Amino acid sequence: MESDEVTATPASIGVTVGSPNALPVVAVGDRARDRAAEAPATNAEAAIEVRNLSAYYGTKKAVHDVTLDARQRSITAIIGPSGSGKSTVLRALNRMLEVVPSARIEGSVRFRGIDIYGKEIEPAAVRRTIGMVFQQPNPFPTMSIFDNVAAAARFNGLVKGRAQAAELVERCLRQAALWDEVKDQLGKSGASLSGGQQQRLCIARALAVNPEVILMDEPCSALDPIATLQIEELARELSREYAIVIVTHNMQQAARVSNETVFMSMNEDRSGYVVEVGPTAGVFTNPRNKLTEDYITGRFG
Amino acid sequence: MSVGDAILEWGVRILSLVALGFVVVMLIETAVRASALLKNTNPWAFLTGTTWDPSSLVYGAMPFIYGTVVTSVIALIVAVPLSLGAALLINEYLPRFFAGPVAYAIELLAAVPSVVYGFWGVVVLVPALVPIERAIAGSPAGKIPIFGPPVFGPSYLAAGLVLAVMIVPIVTAVARDSINATPRLQREAALALGATHWETIRGVVLPFARGGIFAGIILGLSRAIGETIAVLFVIGNQPQINASVLAPGYTLPSVVASEFAEANQPFHSEALIALGIVLFILSFAVNVAARLVVSRFEKRAGGADVR
Amino acid sequence: MSAEAPESVLRTTSRRRTVSDRIIFGLCLTAGAIAILPLVLVIAYLVIEGLNAWSPAFLLEKPGGITSSGGGALHAIVGSLEMTGLALLISAPFGIAVALYVIEYRAGRLAIAVRTAVDLVAGIPSIVIGLFVYSLVVLTMGHFSGLAGSIALALIMLPIIARTSEEMFKIVPRRMREGTMALAMPRWRAVVSVYVPTVAAGIVTGIVLAVSRAVGETAPLIFTALGSNFLSTNIFKPMNALPLFIYQNALNIGSPAARERAWAAALTLVAIVLIFNVLSRWLTTRVAVRVPH
Repeated sequence: MESDEVTATPASIGVTVGSPNALPVVAVGDRARDRAAEAPATNAEAAIEVRNLSAYYGTKKAVHDVTLDARQRSITAIIGPSGSGKSTVLRALNRMLEVVPSARIEGSVRFRGIDIYGKEIEPAAVRRTIGMVFQQPNPFPTMSIFDNVAAAARFNGLVKGRAQAAELVERCLRQAALWDEVKDQLGKSGASLSGGQQQRLCIARALAVNPEVILMDEPCSALDPIATLQIEELARELSREYAIVIVTHNMQQAARVSNETVFMSMNEDRSGYVVEVGPTAGVFTNPRNKLTEDYITGRFG
Repeated sequence: MSVGDAILEWGVRILSLVALGFVVVMLIETAVRASALLKNTNPWAFLTGTTWDPSSLVYGAMPFIYGTVVTSVIALIVAVPLSLGAALLINEYLPRFFAGPVAYAIELLAAVPSVVYGFWGVVVLVPALVPIERAIAGSPAGKIPIFGPPVFGPSYLAAGLVLAVMIVPIVTAVARDSINATPRLQREAALALGATHWETIRGVVLPFARGGIFAGIILGLSRAIGETIAVLFVIGNQPQINASVLAPGYTLPSVVASEFAEANQPFHSEALIALGIVLFILSFAVNVAARLVVSRFEKRAGGADVR
Repeated sequence: MSAEAPESVLRTTSRRRTVSDRIIFGLCLTAGAIAILPLVLVIAYLVIEGLNAWSPAFLLEKPGGITSSGGGALHAIVGSLEMTGLALLISAPFGIAVALYVIEYRAGRLAIAVRTAVDLVAGIPSIVIGLFVYSLVVLTMGHFSGLAGSIALALIMLPIIARTSEEMFKIVPRRMREGTMALAMPRWRAVVSVYVPTVAAGIVTGIVLAVSRAVGETAPLIFTALGSNFLSTNIFKPMNALPLFIYQNALNIGSPAARERAWAAALTLVAIVLIFNVLSRWLTTRVAVRVPH
């Protein structure tokens, strides 16, 4: 990736937006500069490192000893049969897991070297940097299309006033490849869109808070094939600027979009574990593990 | 059609029509009896009359309408913020093992008969309230008409507070239900954007639940408007209009309850029945208005896939 | 990569946002505490004063003198049982019939009228129900009676039973309806042997809820059943009931004996109402299990 492309990231446009907060909050521009400085050398570097992660719901172990990396400016797919803990791992990456009552984890998750479960770290701060798109499109039904995108940034003090918000909304909707379809109906309810449009609206909304990583939890499972294709293209496009981790049960999808693939399966105690990690091409054409081979050739799953 | 089908259909139909007929006859009968009052006074004079003096055959409904409105408004002002706070506390902040029992207890308290609240009000609350009412009336605030003397104890305020205690469980229970019904996906969407807990509540939960919260408030309001016994014990039963909430007054249901059995002046019982009809229309109007507003809320959130 | 301070990578929440988060929590906590305090007080007084005045004799003895102490509330308990029981016998068949009529013959104009009337009754303040029944029943019969009280209570129960039954019939799964049609089962057989048993627990829940509401009502009884200071089982004579008994004693709180009787009766009444409520809630959980979705 060329560096002039990097300087054109939305985050750097955000420099003009700045942060009105008085506290040790990093102005958006700083992060963009950090990233730009790292860009040439760290193209393949890990944005998120998961080490020995185990997750529990109450006393039931859902995920066992997962270790994986998600690279910057790259798509990491997590595949595996249902019940293998893919979504649990994903939710552990931005502390959305703890929203589920009784869920807890062991092990560590680091974002650019920082333990996101560290004592001083707020969950909200983690989620601002590591955004998430859900299985069911979930635009806020009581808000317009415009407000769905703007509200997220307003929470976080990233925009002030209508003009700035309008600028941000347009940029995010363009990035999410939705602008041309909705620019004449920004005042309509987000719920009035088709499923695929709603999901792209959710992606635009996630982009509005200037994340560095986007987690996608089966983002296409509720969508038709054409909408799925659009989301996949969008994910490829976004991976030029963001680290993306996508959970999917659709192996073709993983093969089509991802750079790296993580294959998970279930232990006898029904807890999920990682069978194999590697570049997608390798995992799909030349799996090292018999289980992986069985799964991708459709022998179980 | 088989014989069994015919029996079922006709049985069900006849029972339903008997119920319908009974309600219709009851309404007509009551309206006819109240209409005898027309020989004494015209409807407008009755509604707007500020004097109620059966011994001189003067019947004016305004003191009771005023009392009903004032006590209900006091009850809402006190109960709504408390109920909302309690509902949010239970749903959003208390740990689960604790929230469940608290919610259950509050729902049970909604079922405690009003006569019990009224009795508690007259033996516990009013005596405790007297010094406070005196202090308010004696303080500089007493110069403002709504906090002015005289103070006896039983008052609009006392009645409003008992009503508030009574309706807090109802409003809390309904508000809690609708807050609880906020789809998890919506909450998660806000949290995943880095919203704080309060921002999630304000941005997602309250907009989603506002129709239900409003419905809960209306349910509380119609209980307050129609409440008879609890108010009768603590309002002082004076058919007057007084600007001060510390003064005694009267409400529509409580005057019907306490005077009807001994209504032996001409037109007295007819006038009380007419007050009952005014009360019926008032609570009917509140319910209709509420339905309209709730359906508007639903329409605004409408088309939304709210699951 | 050198470890950076967390703040430099993750945008922490501004103080303003953190503070308002805390303030709201504080407000909710305060509101919750203030809301719950009087309720705790009511229950505490009820239990302490009530247990003080209560004895098994209270349940079993006939009433004593109006101002003298002692004497039980047997007449009020018998009256409550009899009037609520009769009200149940009246309202349950009507309520279930109305629900069936509305659900099964939904389109008919009369069905809509019936439903509207029942909704209307649900919105009538209970004192007004008392007035209506006075006009129609007491004046027609020429005197107050337990029967008039029962009719007033039945009118309060009717909409509750009709509505819960209606909700129940609505959730009879479509599969089940289609199943009965596929078997060419006549409608009455389907209703009697399939629908009603499926939702019976739900209907019973509604009935129990209605009973718990009716048993605590005072206002509709004041000028229908009137109250009586004698033990009587004759439904055509004036009757007492527990809430009415509390009401009448509470009007005389100058007398310590009356005050004691009111506390004891209040405790008894609340216990009865709460038992019914817990029962209906427990039944509700059973419905959830019985009805497949």
